[in-house]
Amino acid sequence: KSINFQPYIFEPVFVKQKQMEHKEVDDEFSDITLRLFDLSDIDDFMEWATDDQVSRFCSWETYTSKEAATNHIVDVVIPHPWYRAICLKDRAIGAISVTPNEGNDICRAELGYVLGSKYWGKGIVSRAVQMVASTVFIEWPHLERLEALVDVNNPGSQRVLEKAGFQREGVLRKYFLQKGKSRDAVIFSLLSTDPKVNSFM
Amino acid sequence: MEIALRPYQVSDVEDFMEWCDDEVVRLSRLRHFTSREDAVSYLKETVIPHPWYRAICLDNRPIGFISITPGSGDERCRGRITYALGSKYWGQGITTVAVKKVISTVFEEFPSMQRLETIVDVDNKRSQRVLEKSGFLKEGVLRKYVIFKGNIYDVIMYSLLSTLT
Repeated sequence: KSINFQPYIFEPVFVKQKQMEHKEVDDEFSDITLRLFDLSDIDDFMEWATDDQVSRFCSWETYTSKEAATNHIVDVVIPHPWYRAICLKDRAIGAISVTPNEGNDICRAELGYVLGSKYWGKGIVSRAVQMVASTVFIEWPHLERLEALVDVNNPGSQRVLEKAGFQREGVLRKYFLQKGKSRDAVIFSLLSTDPKVNSFM
Repeated sequence: MEIALRPYQVSDVEDFMEWCDDEVVRLSRLRHFTSREDAVSYLKETVIPHPWYRAICLDNRPIGFISITPGSGDERCRGRITYALGSKYWGQGITTVAVKKVISTVFEEFPSMQRLETIVDVDNKRSQRVLEKSGFLKEGVLRKYVIFKGNIYDVIMYSLLSTLT
């Protein structure tokens, strides 16, 4: 079974063996991998992109056309510096991204993620976040801080970050507009020097 | 002691160079100006075109600056405030007077703005006191948040919300 996300610099064979061992004992939702998106993922992408439950806390409006979704994949997803499909048995069921900054802000990057609603509550995003946390600081040695902003009214997403070892730093009031309305956001961070949670290994 | 805010003009260049001293340069993103021409360029290229940049004036002479940088797009509900004061004027409450003047009008001047924020080095107690005295709320410590003169710092995030409905 190949590892579909950016390879580790060290010991990839060890990781592969561990994943196979887990496959024998874990349930149907343990085969989670990260890989680049492809236009052939469009139908899978539409599954969560057209779901109001999913778009509720996202900056984008629910997609209503395959053309708009395709344009988003071509214009935003594929050229993005770090954007991966969260895959179950190699089918895309969500996405996770790390967005870098420039200049004096280059030491930090922002984590974002989205998952099809029928897969919620199974620890899948937690696993994906842990995978990202264990690789992104190696891929980007100048990165010291991975941060995430979560709506105060989205406790499920806050728990994902807490389980992955992120530290809750505070609430930023009326921090951004989401669909025209100002939202309070909880800010979380994981430093390159913080202990990592690796429950998938 | 009369404190007033007004836009900078190129003719303020000497006063600008005078208050922008070693202590100010150490704690802010301002730099030493090597010559009058250097300072004039900075005024023309950075200060005067800025969306909202004011001289803090004592008896009509500039002794510092205060500025507001509004956000755009989904961030237009917030704006950032920054300031600096010549070090010989520290400890007299002048910066607090300037900040209070700004916050009394900024939300009317920028109708989309609902939040005014700033980040301060965890060790800069003077600046933290200015904000607390002006009514800003400390929201949390953001670890390894920003690069400042080659090093990475923890900062405190402060904010003030508009009371306009």
